[in-house]
Formats: sequence, structure tokens, C-alpha cells
Amino acid sequence: MSPERSTASGPGRVLVLVYAVLAVAATARSAVQISRDLAAAPLAYLLSGFAALVYHAATLALARGTGRWRVLAWCAVGIEAAGVLAVGALSVARPELFAEATVWSRFGAGYGYVPLVLPFLGLGWLARTRPTAPGVPQ
Amino acid sequence: MLDGAGPSPARRILSGVWTPLALAVIAAAAVVTAWATHSALRNRAVVLRQLLAAGVVEALLVGQVAEAAVRSLRGDLPTDPATFWGYLATSLLVLPAAAAWAFAERTRWSSVVLAAAAVTVGVLEFRMLVVWAGG
Repeated sequence: MSPERSTASGPGRVLVLVYAVLAVAATARSAVQISRDLAAAPLAYLLSGFAALVYHAATLALARGTGRWRVLAWCAVGIEAAGVLAVGALSVARPELFAEATVWSRFGAGYGYVPLVLPFLGLGWLARTRPTAPGVPQ
Repeated sequence: MLDGAGPSPARRILSGVWTPLALAVIAAAAVVTAWATHSALRNRAVVLRQLLAAGVVEALLVGQVAEAAVRSLRGDLPTDPATFWGYLATSLLVLPAAAAWAFAERTRWSSVVLAAAAVTVGVLEFRMLVVWAGG
């Protein structure tokens, strides 16, 4: 493994492609939802918009994949992991808060659970490609 | 489709075009997926013939744009037009992105990318069928 391996090489390319698709899908969906009837489910729709922004950040950061982009990638993918778990749990416990589905509702079931699996693949990949030895702070 | 007014003959024919074309896209995408997966398992990068196969899928998708546009102009709209066109536009972008990467990454991972892209097209196509019908 080279000392400065980009997250966009090898299997990372697959990750970036799937992130890009999710980013576009989430953006299109939330743009339609927010512009059409934001009042119907403000929490769900604004959350969809936020999730879309995070996916774009993750896609861009993983596609660049070195130096400071790696820090942004950690943040974006970490927010996703937390988001899908928190919103997933909340949408099951308090479904009335989420009258309309978001990307993260029911742990991403509407998207084949890809939103649930992806951030953990992303975190694992960031850990594997990091330039310093495991355990040593960057 | 089953409204009381009854569709005109031209419209009935166009309604018949839609599902077979969608199934053709799904079948072609499945072939590309299987081929690219085979290459990935044998540790091979994407070859030109696979990109030509992906080009066939892309051509079918372009055909779908034309077909959906004609139908929309005739007033036969999908239940949720914005979502439908969003899916169609996304599906057009996925395979060219995978092809561009196939040139940049000459390892087995280009095959995995192409397989993932073809799966994505198949899933989007399925969603398009559902969205048009009102799902």
C-alpha cells in the first residue's frame, strides 16, 4: 500500500459511484419534495435535503481522497452513519414524525438498505487506505 | 390506462411500447452485470466489447427518453413526472461514468464499477416502471 493512497482508487471507485448515485437520487427526491409541499412533512423533507448535501460532500471527498479531503470524507461518512442509525431508530419509534419517507427512514429500507450499509463500508475503506499505520493519529 | 374515455389507437400502441422497452433495458443491464461480474471474478479489467454492450443499454435508455417524451406530449403523463424524469436522467449518467472510469482504472475494479453501474440502471429502470404506474 502506497503512503498516500487515494480513496478513489481500486474498490474505492465502486464506493464513489454508489455514493454519486445516492447523492443524485436524494437530491432529486428532496428537491421535488421541498419545492412541492414542504409544509406537509417539514422535518422529513428538510432531513432529506440535508442527507442529500451530506452525500454530495462524501462523494466529492472520496473522489478526491487525499489530504484534507480525507478529513471531510471522515466527517461526511460519519454523519451519514450516525444519521441513518438515529433517523432509522426514530422513524420506527415515532413514525408520526415522518409522515413522508426520507432516505434514512426505516434504516434506508426504501433504498434497499444501501444507505445503512454504505457509511460503514466507507468508514472501513477510509481506515484501510489511511496513510499512517492503524492506531497512529494522523 | 383503464379510464372510461378509452385510449386512441396510437396511444394504445405507445402504451404497449413502454413495458417491453423497459424490460429490454433490464435484460440488457443484467447481461452487462453478469459479464462484468465474470470479469471481476477472473481478475480482469473492462474490455472494449463490454463498453459496446453498455452502449447498447445506453442506446435503449435514449430510446426511452424519446418514447417517454412522445407519450408525455400526447398527454399520457407518468403519475409523478418529476420523479420519473429524475430517474431517467440519472440512469443516463451512470454507464458513461463507469465507462470513463474503466479507462482510468485498468484493474479488476473497473469491472466491479461497471457491474455496479449496470445493477443501478436495472434498479432505476424498475423504479421507473413503478413510478409511471403510480407507485
